[in-house]
Amino acid sequence: MLISWELLKNFIDIEPLNLTPEELAERLTFSGSEVEGITYCAGKMKSVIAAKIASLETHSADSKYSIAHLDTGAGIHVCITSAHNMKAGDMVFYAGEGAILPGGMELGARDFHGVMSYGMMLSAEELGLHDVDDPSGLLILPNDARPGDKAESLYHIGDVILDVSITPNRGDLLSHLGMAREIKGLYPKSTLKFPEWMRPLKQDKEWSEDFGKISLPDKGCYAYRLGLATGAKIADSPLTAKVDLAHLGMRPINNAVDVTNYVMLMLGQPLHAFDLNTLPAREITVRAAHDGEHMMTLDGKDRALTERDMLITSGGEAIALAGVMGGEQTGINPDTTTIVIESASFSPVRVGHTSRRLGINSEAAFRFARTVDPALSKSALMAASALMCEWCGADVSYKPLSAENEIHSPKAVTLTRKKLSTYLSWDNMNDAAKILEGFGITQLKGGDDEREFMPPTSRPDITIEEDLIEEIGRFRGYNETEERLPGEMPRRADIGQSMRLSAFVRNTLMARGYTEVLTYSFLPEDFPEKLRLPPDDIRAKPLTLANPISREQTAMRTTLLPGLLAGMKTAIASGWREPVRIFEQGRVFIREGDSHIEPEHVAGLIFNGMDIRSPSGNRNEDFYTVKADIESLITARGYNPVFVPGHETFTHAGQTADILVDGAKIGFAARLKPAIEQELDVVGVYVFELDMTSIAESRKPEFSPASSFPASFRDISIMAANDRRNDDIMTDIRESVNEAGNDDIQLDGLRLFDVYAGKGIPDGFRSMAYSMSYRSRVKTLTVDEVETLHNGVREAMKRKGYVIR
Amino acid sequence: MPEDMNINAVRDSFTESLAGASTLQELDEIRVKFTGKKGTLTQLLRSLGKLPPEKRKEIGQSLNTLRDEIENELDLAGRRIRDSENEKQEISERIDVTLPQKGRISGAFHPVLQTMHELADIMQGLGYSVASGPEVEEDYYNFECLNVPPWHPARDMQDTFYFPDGKLLRTHTSPVQIRSMLQYGAPLRIVCPGKVYRRDNDTTHSPMFTQMEGLLVDKNVSFSMMKGTMSEMLNAFFGKSLRYRFRASYFPFTEPSMELDMECVECSGHDAHCRVCHGTGWLEVAGMGMVHPNVIRAGKIDPDEYNGFAFGIGLDRMAMLKYGIGDLRLFFDGNISYFMSGFGGAEKC
Repeated sequence: MLISWELLKNFIDIEPLNLTPEELAERLTFSGSEVEGITYCAGKMKSVIAAKIASLETHSADSKYSIAHLDTGAGIHVCITSAHNMKAGDMVFYAGEGAILPGGMELGARDFHGVMSYGMMLSAEELGLHDVDDPSGLLILPNDARPGDKAESLYHIGDVILDVSITPNRGDLLSHLGMAREIKGLYPKSTLKFPEWMRPLKQDKEWSEDFGKISLPDKGCYAYRLGLATGAKIADSPLTAKVDLAHLGMRPINNAVDVTNYVMLMLGQPLHAFDLNTLPAREITVRAAHDGEHMMTLDGKDRALTERDMLITSGGEAIALAGVMGGEQTGINPDTTTIVIESASFSPVRVGHTSRRLGINSEAAFRFARTVDPALSKSALMAASALMCEWCGADVSYKPLSAENEIHSPKAVTLTRKKLSTYLSWDNMNDAAKILEGFGITQLKGGDDEREFMPPTSRPDITIEEDLIEEIGRFRGYNETEERLPGEMPRRADIGQSMRLSAFVRNTLMARGYTEVLTYSFLPEDFPEKLRLPPDDIRAKPLTLANPISREQTAMRTTLLPGLLAGMKTAIASGWREPVRIFEQGRVFIREGDSHIEPEHVAGLIFNGMDIRSPSGNRNEDFYTVKADIESLITARGYNPVFVPGHETFTHAGQTADILVDGAKIGFAARLKPAIEQELDVVGVYVFELDMTSIAESRKPEFSPASSFPASFRDISIMAANDRRNDDIMTDIRESVNEAGNDDIQLDGLRLFDVYAGKGIPDGFRSMAYSMSYRSRVKTLTVDEVETLHNGVREAMKRKGYVIR
Repeated sequence: MPEDMNINAVRDSFTESLAGASTLQELDEIRVKFTGKKGTLTQLLRSLGKLPPEKRKEIGQSLNTLRDEIENELDLAGRRIRDSENEKQEISERIDVTLPQKGRISGAFHPVLQTMHELADIMQGLGYSVASGPEVEEDYYNFECLNVPPWHPARDMQDTFYFPDGKLLRTHTSPVQIRSMLQYGAPLRIVCPGKVYRRDNDTTHSPMFTQMEGLLVDKNVSFSMMKGTMSEMLNAFFGKSLRYRFRASYFPFTEPSMELDMECVECSGHDAHCRVCHGTGWLEVAGMGMVHPNVIRAGKIDPDEYNGFAFGIGLDRMAMLKYGIGDLRLFFDGNISYFMSGFGGAEKC
């Protein structure tokens, strides 16, 4: 909301406060209405003055120029202009040689075909006043200006505008009147006052025109009033009013429309003026729209309505979407003489619904949705009538027509000493009452520990005790209040399983060389296709936004992988040639019936880098180094991960493992599908993704004491077909130890130490060598005992079809 | 006494030989020459029997002493030579310790997540547990329970992502207030760090960002307590005692509501051209207030018995301030080169 320092003075005596705009801005900001900017409208303007065109002649060398002799009250100055809208005797603004325009331009003297011109005569645009006047002509001043008067002292040209951010609860501050009341509350020594045009008006004549009834079948219209103005002459508004409107961000249109806008900016009441003769019928009905009803709004859009919207109709025809926007037909045109001013009061809920649903944020809707004081509809109509008389020369002495529904009046609110002192650590009830009175909240009932207050109709936001406390709090400021911590500590503050797990995962992976990343939860809509996910995969049907910002951010991720791949791509694109090891923890969003779940995943990506050379041999991340990372993650939680050959549509067909914990799949580890690597222009990308839900709870490890008897070590070397997996062979070895049977001796350790294929080994086979350790819990083993058992194991392995080497 | 002379001759001869020895092999040869089976000393010892008994004892003692001496010296010399040979070997095996490491070095944390964990830890120390809620949230929890009905203009404050079924991406972590009150009742102290989403994308806004919600519900909770809690939390996070100021503000779910400004961590208000605070000396860091009775009620707690305070703080902002990061959007593109740059660039020049 833009607030004019000059116009504020119409409503409050600020002078005695000796305030600068900056000081006021600070007080407003700390009490809840942040001032986002202060504009000095005159800017850098210097020595721009009013001057009278004493004489005017056409330049003899070039007829498109006129030579003016200007009377500045302190001499005559020659000034040449290309404008044509002036005549001798007119008053204009003149910036002489050395004068500075608001934008900072300094003027000099210039030779126009042998005639020296000093400075320039100004258009409204050159004064920084947009839309106030024709930018191609000079701004011709009213006759009240005197030669030599400084521009910044005339017509509010030197006004100061505060840009105040009004919070949604304070609809009452969307006007100068409201802001004055707020300032009155904040500065108890100030006094409110009212401008001339708000003085009561004698309006008792019957209408000169026939007019039927105003009916309000919809209770969402609290009040509807019409004022009549006859004999109006449509023209420009007075210059000061136009300057005011321009400063306040509103384009001057004509005097009748400007009146409605001006009154809205001053008092907060949205108004509408229209030509009585454009009304379809001399009758007004405010009713709920029918579901599916349509209307064409002023902006030329066809709007489909519901029964929550309110329509203003005349003769059955919709003329306005109540409180939101007018229709196309009614309006003021240059020939209008009979004007009807509409001033109404609407339910904020209803207007809020309509304006939000249709996305119309008109000045009226913005205010009505934030609540307009219902008491204003009457006084604003009268004020508008007074201005209609002053600016348009209209007769406004007619009695307004009105209809009303029930208007909600404010309810008394109790303030207790107990709550006040609890909240603010301060409990002076007398001072509290004074503060509240300053904001127009009157005390109804006194008392030491409890008082009752009545908020004014302009403050519907005050309904509960906490609201009163806030008024007191923001008046006093919060910075002096003592600081302390809440009393007794709760017994067991718990950072929670999810944070603990997340801390463990990040510490583990960062120590293992991964860098933590955080990527967007939304992905391009086509990410399932990019990953070649089959339609029946739960990851292939992401939740998708109804109103995304861009196609790239449309679908909620069902896997963390695309984010990591994009991260790698960005790093490479930014010139990173080193290894990429990144991980992310976060939620994925999986449909489940009509609803969804948000499991916590962790995913990692390892890429050797664009330049794998190194003095200690090429970098050699592969499936097995990633496997080590995953084992570290899972075993430290007390679980035993099992890797089995797996399949994902986006991974290498021969280098993919499902990861099982307690027999259930929790994720995968794999090399990226070479086709996708090729799309990304990289070679050798290894990835994993785990659903951490099932291992979130850390399992307590079980410890068993080591045997105090020595172990005996034997190797066994086996030739096995390539498709025989290490896990199977190890299982066979363990089984063979059981078969060779000796209750006293356990297989204490089993470790693969060599895999060999090539010379000496037939095609399709490989040699696998394991180190085994035998141990007893009850005695030291003899060589014979160990040899007997180990031979038995070799025999058992042969029986299973292995060739022992 | 020819024996005495012999003993001295042997000693001299040994000393001379030892002085000339520089390898372990030469030492061995000396050992054989003097104490071997046919060694000079051994010969002398053997000849003891030929001496008269009165001489035997004295000479024998001298010979034994000499033998001990020789063995001792040989051991010492042996150790000396081995040490020097090892040393030569070690010098020949010298490496360039400035060559790069083999294998991986540790990775780097994400500033926002680091901030999230640090703040949660600090708040745990103040008695707060971590609570969580869904990111794809219902309108009811995100808005209605928080005193923001569908028509309310406060909805304009938060541009929202919706799903076709009417669900939305939570615009703040505040829905967790309601969920926690419903789940745990009062008294209650929770924080909820997490991702939030708003339909906003420019240089200072990202459509996804992070927040931490804090909620305390108890009896007779005062603004003083909230003030103390905020400064305790932020001082701990930034590791120094900062100045704070509160501005009255408005949030539908708190009453009264305030915003918190913190002393500029960069310049403390001493730099008129500070790139962080733009010379104001203050930084907006959090919104907060006393929980609105309607919200307490929506959490099925009696507002006549309990009240509380709640705050929401931007974790991205905290991270930017703590780590001096200028651009919010760098946080979310997963680019390792950016994050590793904060760690001395161990693998980068």
